[in-house]
Amino acid sequence: MKHSPAEILREYGPFPGIERIHGVSFDGENVWFASGDRLNAFDPQSGQKLRSIDVAAHAGTAYDGRYFYQLADDRIQKIDPDTGAVVSTIPAPGGGRDSGLTWAEGTLWVGQYRERKIHQIDPETGKILRSIESSRFVTGVTWVDGELWHGTWEGDESDLRRVDPKTGKLLERLDMPAGMTVSGLESDGADRLYCGSTSTGVVRAVRRPK
Amino acid sequence: MDSLITAAALALAAGDPLGALDRVALREDAPALALRGIAMAQLGDFDRAKLLLRRAARAFSPKEAVARARCVVAEAEIALVSRDLGWPAKALDAARTTLEKHGDRLNAAHAGHLKVRRLLLIGRLDEAEYVLAGLDPTPLPPAARAAHELAVAGIAMRRLRTRPARAALEWARNAARQAGIAGLMAEVATASLALETPAARLITQGAERPLLLEEVEALQGSPALVVDAFRYAVRAGDRTVSLASRPVLFALARALAEAWPGDVSREELVARAFGGKHADESHRARLRVEIGRLRAELAALADISATKRGFTLAPRQARAVMVLARPIEERHAAVLALLADGEAWSSSALALALGTGQRSVQRALEPLAEAGKVQSFGHGRARRWMTPPVAGFTTTLLLPAPLATG
Repeated sequence: MKHSPAEILREYGPFPGIERIHGVSFDGENVWFASGDRLNAFDPQSGQKLRSIDVAAHAGTAYDGRYFYQLADDRIQKIDPDTGAVVSTIPAPGGGRDSGLTWAEGTLWVGQYRERKIHQIDPETGKILRSIESSRFVTGVTWVDGELWHGTWEGDESDLRRVDPKTGKLLERLDMPAGMTVSGLESDGADRLYCGSTSTGVVRAVRRPK
Repeated sequence: MDSLITAAALALAAGDPLGALDRVALREDAPALALRGIAMAQLGDFDRAKLLLRRAARAFSPKEAVARARCVVAEAEIALVSRDLGWPAKALDAARTTLEKHGDRLNAAHAGHLKVRRLLLIGRLDEAEYVLAGLDPTPLPPAARAAHELAVAGIAMRRLRTRPARAALEWARNAARQAGIAGLMAEVATASLALETPAARLITQGAERPLLLEEVEALQGSPALVVDAFRYAVRAGDRTVSLASRPVLFALARALAEAWPGDVSREELVARAFGGKHADESHRARLRVEIGRLRAELAALADISATKRGFTLAPRQARAVMVLARPIEERHAAVLALLADGEAWSSSALALALGTGQRSVQRALEPLAEAGKVQSFGHGRARRWMTPPVAGFTTTLLLPAPLATG
């Protein structure tokens, strides 16, 4: 297992009126994050906050290229980014104990926070296709280049870790500095991982190791 | 934290405890227990709230020190609001240290304010002032700022410093308005009322009138000879003689001061000091001894001379003699004074605050209850006392937030 400190490239925010980040996503251009009762976008180049969608946004966020998926209460909402309308909902696999959501190759991956699990589910029905286990609380999930990464928080410590998507085996770990919590995780498809914070309401860009 | 916990926490923050309970009612994991506890506290069910928070603190793993500490702080606040003053103060101190160490400055400050409020209630002013001085209010959000300024005002009023009290109340009023918490605004209004309500009575030359706190303060520098029934002391200018541990001497001094410039008969002095109806020879002998002792105590301030029928007070420098008395004087004035805060007290909390035994507090409460001056609710250890009409638990819960981050 590779193990190193997380290299933080940049911090975005805190943004006015936003205390905590609950989920992070990336639409190819802008970074989106869930802040309780809204989904918000900012430009990762300028750091400027752009727009927001009024929708319940209590945990993880994902983007499939056309729609957002957003955990709210015990459901996953499918949201049209143009209109902000919720086009459909499916039950969340953890019944509301979910935290962390990502889209990959036609399926959704959902973290089940204190149960330390990650479920792969059918985005139409919510049916669990597969589950893997982590050794720590799961607070964010993302796929990039065939790598499954998830954020953790436990015992007042956080890290980002790459695991084997079949077995859950830990392959690589990036430790966050002390006191920095992780909630929500997303890659930009290249060399950056974006993760949210529950303590200060900022989104951090972390370098993804080659 | 997970989706439902976030949703429940948002509902709580929006003042919707039922909405929060809806989301986590059936969950037994640690963050859900903690949120349920906070929701029950906001709904006024303190007993259930305490149990839930205690269970939450146990359910968090030992490594989740911050979450555990926040549960302890919440439990301490509930104990304070329900006047359970015997609650372990050490646990609160430990939680505060943990929160400080982990950079949760807001909740560490909250824990500090709870400590101050408890010390104020049990009358440990010096300690309260010391702890408060170590808390910097500037980075605090409005609700916490208001709580801080209320504590500053509370200490200033008890120390008879009305200007700083007014300034602190002004800060508290602004902060409470900014926080938009109605209960907090009401609390500031109630506290401010104390400055406009008579705090004492002034008795001089046979006449008496009510005094505002400000006037009591002004009297501190007065050149008059003041017999102070709050502190059981006699003073003139900057010289003070404390008679706090000599109740007989104080009673004599007060009787003489009330009659000044006239004298007081031996019979009356005997009645006031020893509670005897009729002054026989042994009483007269004892009176002579006690007057001698008082004369020695007050030597620097006044002389006590014998007259035909009794004794009279003759101040040395002062041109006037005054008695500063409590606004209402009756046998159980001290118990009533505590209950006047509008809160529900347990008899053990009253005993703790008065520095006396629980049994003697109960002996005071019984006749007061018969006279309709106090009323109780609850039974056994959960029994609470308050002055009618029931004002409710006006002390606002500002429970630790966020309770279950992660």
